[in-house]
Formats: sequence, C-alpha cells, structure tokens
Amino acid sequence: MNEKTELTKAENKAVEKTADLYKVAPAVDIFENSNEILLYADMPGVVKEDISVNIDNGTLSLSGVRKLKTKGTVNWEEFGNVQFVRSFSVPPTIDANKVEADLKEGILRLHLPKSENAKPKRIEIKSA
Amino acid sequence: MYLRIKDFDKLFGTMNLLQNRLNRFSSDFDSPYGSDWTMEQGMPRTNLYDTGEQLEIRAEVPGLDKNRLTVNIQGNYLEISGSRDSDVPEGYKIQNAERESVSFSRSMTLPVDVDTAKASAVIKDGILYLKLPKAEAVKPKRITIA
Repeated sequence: MNEKTELTKAENKAVEKTADLYKVAPAVDIFENSNEILLYADMPGVVKEDISVNIDNGTLSLSGVRKLKTKGTVNWEEFGNVQFVRSFSVPPTIDANKVEADLKEGILRLHLPKSENAKPKRIEIKSA
Repeated sequence: MYLRIKDFDKLFGTMNLLQNRLNRFSSDFDSPYGSDWTMEQGMPRTNLYDTGEQLEIRAEVPGLDKNRLTVNIQGNYLEISGSRDSDVPEGYKIQNAERESVSFSRSMTLPVDVDTAKASAVIKDGILYLKLPKAEAVKPKRITIA
C-alpha cells in the first residue's frame, strides 16, 4: 500500500539496490576563503565506502548510500535507508586534482582548493 | 459474489491512485524517509525497534559526539537532548548555510518499562544507537507445556 512496501518488494528483485532507494538532498554548508572552498554535508549513517564524490565537467556530484541493518519489529521508523544525492556547479578555478574529502560523525567535509592563478593577488604600486 | 469483490477492488484502486498522486505532489507523504523533522528543527528523527528482549532506539545526530548529547531515562520516559555549535571555520565567508548550530530536546514515552541499569548507548557515523533491555516483568516468557 505505501511506498515502503513497494520499495522492499522492488529491492528483493533488483540486482543493483541503490537505484531503488529513496533519494534525499543532504543539508549543505559552503564556506569560502581566498584559498579554497569548503563544503560540509550532513549524511548521518553513511560509511566511507558508500560515498562517492565526482567532479565532471564543472559539476560536483555527491552521493552517499545509507545501509542500516534493522532487527526486531518496528514500533516507529522516521528514517530509513536512503541515498543522499546533491550536485553543485563548481567554478573552473577549482583544482579538481587536489580536492580532499573526509567523513567524520556522519558529516562529509570537502576541501576544494582554488588553483594558483585564480587566487587573489595584491599588486604593488610603484612610486614614480 | 465475485462481481462484488471486484467492486471493492475498484474502490481501493481509486485510493491507491489518489495516494500516488499525493506522493507526486509532496514527496514526503508517507515516504520511507518519514517526517520532515531534522535535528536543525529541534526534532531529530528517531526509530524504535523491539527485539523482544530489548528496545533499540536510533536517532539521527550528525556531528554530535558523546560530550554534546544527553540521554535521560526515568521509568518509561526517555529524553534525548544535545547541541551542536556552528562549525564555521575561522576566516571563511559563508556562501550557503543550511546546517545551523542547534540545540534540541526530544522526549518520548517508551512502550514498556526498561531496565535502566543495563541500558547502553553508542554514537556511530552520526547515528545514536540506544539499547534498552526490557524490565524483567515485561520480557516475553516461554511457558513450557507440562
């Protein structure tokens, strides 16, 4: 009757399970200074192995799959297994080779360094 | 008789159709992800499982460590509270802010009495796992047939 039962039915048949997961957008903070852009995303319950971060053609896409095992009968369930998906367009000044990511306490932290020639430069004024 | 069953089927078919429409209209409606609540809104999402021997509660608490989270149990009344400071690093400009600093408190009445002395709690990957063994009096017991 509800989406959940449909989902479990589909999951049993499917070879690739992640395709059937409910997709949600994680809450994201973005910070910037002259050296880099920082991106923090809340993905509670996702382990390192199930996260993928891709930068392709100016688009940064995040995907994290939460696979929690449940046991016993459910009295109530407000969160389940989901796929956290979100994508952003990144400026071409980002050095894609130097992007770093770490995951701690369910928060994904991305460091997107700006390439050298995109950093602000101070120009000295010479007195004549 | 069969004809009548068919009529009922039709009736429920219409209801399913309506539900599908509603799902499309609001993707949160009856979704497996549950309610719109988040920790930011002062209501972390929780799950409650009953394994017979114990109750298991899970709560979404991304970014909280054990020093920032308090769990109180009194009888069958459970309260989870905690706070998260803003993690804006020094010297950065904020471009997008959805994960604010929060403090929340959520309380609930457990369906059965629990043995608070044996309760345990762990935080892993931003999820709080609470294990509450049931009190002896409410545990399921097998009665052997003589």
